Amino acid sequence: MTSPSTEAPIALRAVGLGRRFGDRWAVRGIDLDVRRGEVLGLLGPNGAGKTTTVRLLTALIEPTEGTASVDGFDVRNRPEDVRSRVGILTETPGLYDKLSATANLDFFGRLYGLDAAARAERIERYLRVFGLWERRDDVTGAFSKGMKQKLAIARALLHDPSVVFLDEPTAALDPEAAFIVREAIETLRRAGRTIVLATHNLDEADRLCDRIAFVRAGLVMVASPAELRGSLGQRSLVIRLASGPSPATLEALRGLDGVGAVDAVDGVLRLDAPDPESIAPAAVRALVTAGGAIVEVRIDRTSLEQIYFDVMGVRPGADGIEAVG
Amino acid sequence: MRARVVWTILRREWMETLRNRLLLSTILIPPVLLTVAPLILAGAVGDRALPAELATQVLRQKPEWGAFSPGELAGAFAVQQFLVFFLLMPAYIPLSIATFSIIGEKQARSLEPVLAAPIRTVELLAGKAIAALVPGVLAGWVTYVAFVALASVVYGPALFGVVTDGSWLAGVFLLGPAVGLSSVVAGVIVSARVNDPRVAQQIGGVVIVPIVGLVMVQATGTLLVGPVGYVLMSLGVLLISLVGLRVGVRLFDREAILTRWR
Repeated sequence: MTSPSTEAPIALRAVGLGRRFGDRWAVRGIDLDVRRGEVLGLLGPNGAGKTTTVRLLTALIEPTEGTASVDGFDVRNRPEDVRSRVGILTETPGLYDKLSATANLDFFGRLYGLDAAARAERIERYLRVFGLWERRDDVTGAFSKGMKQKLAIARALLHDPSVVFLDEPTAALDPEAAFIVREAIETLRRAGRTIVLATHNLDEADRLCDRIAFVRAGLVMVASPAELRGSLGQRSLVIRLASGPSPATLEALRGLDGVGAVDAVDGVLRLDAPDPESIAPAAVRALVTAGGAIVEVRIDRTSLEQIYFDVMGVRPGADGIEAVG
Repeated sequence: MRARVVWTILRREWMETLRNRLLLSTILIPPVLLTVAPLILAGAVGDRALPAELATQVLRQKPEWGAFSPGELAGAFAVQQFLVFFLLMPAYIPLSIATFSIIGEKQARSLEPVLAAPIRTVELLAGKAIAALVPGVLAGWVTYVAFVALASVVYGPALFGVVTDGSWLAGVFLLGPAVGLSSVVAGVIVSARVNDPRVAQQIGGVVIVPIVGLVMVQATGTLLVGPVGYVLMSLGVLLISLVGLRVGVRLFDREAILTRWR
């Protein structure tokens, strides 16, 4: 994954951003910079404030405290300028089912003030990018969920926004439709778009995002997936043998430099190590010398799921998720 | 308010209306019925005269009908009842369009992407209101013109004079649009609170109650409203509509739509 340069200009900034509904703060104290070309994931459970954060950053609702800006335009003072510079995929596609794909996009092109030539060119471009050109005259009510979501993404891109916000883009989609939409997002990422991706799908965030912001009524932590694994995750070397290791083999492995605990379960050895790549050759040599029959060697990393539970302070209990600490 | 944005909203509203067969039938069928029904009724009355007491009462309020034959007087009285029906179109059609439009958007969750565009809520509301109001008012006017043309051909100058007097002109061209506006306002307010277009139309239909009242007092002959009465009613309805519009604009607030409309 190619991360944007730290020299890239800041496209989106939030300072002490918060929003209260009645007596309850939906989100509070959000400080955030997103650089041009970066893909930032907003990760959190349902009700954590992801959608509220997206709405604040897109000038759809006003902050109760703090501020945010897009390309330097403040969400409080210049909301229309902000809205003209962002594209948003809302939780539901929100298309006009009785209108064709082209008519849907044309309507939004007009709202964003694109002239007829620009509308025609971009509508064709994005319908082709997302494989909908052949269905351009069909009413969107006849589209599958995945097609609707792709058309909604095309709608969000039509005015060439500075920042694209995707709110739960694969929620409620079947695996095939979700795959299609992820591919579409991957296409945007490769094209260098600045994207804020609100999701509770850990795999999606891991695969698509340069940095992940954990949200729970505010920002809990912001880091790249690699940083998260480096600071919070554990790494280990996993070696599968044809048969269980002898005590001598285990002793030899435990004596290697850089190796922590060594566990053996049913012929699978797990060697805890901060840098598993560097100890792998020595471990393999030691095992071969000791007569071990190696079937597989791989490096195991803590899953983002485990990191998520750690950061959010929850653990999956027998009766569901429970808070810890 | 930018005309370009309002026109964009209005254009899309009409595109959707034209593709909604149910809505289209509620817009097109009443005008046809209301053009034909009064003429059939006037024909059915034929040369029959009004009861003497009613004829006296009618002539007291409409002395200009004094030159009519008994048959013409009966026909004029019968046709006069239908003026209020020409007010039902600008009341009913905008209500149907506004409720279908707003509740349809609520159900499809299609307002959020629109509100995320650089559009002001007043522009959105104006586009929707005009898109709902214009077909109703135009339907009333077109139907009236067709009705007048048919009435003059079929029944001659006496009835033509009745349906083109000041009462009719003020009723159709002033009170009609005012009633239409009040209907749009009712549609906006009610649609902000309910999630079923039929329920919204039933509640919003309260707008029609005063018109039905008008029908009843006219039918009994106790009050035949003149031009001044229609002008005063137009001003009253307009005033009520403007007050309602302030409430509607508040309910149509961007944040309220996003956070409370479900």
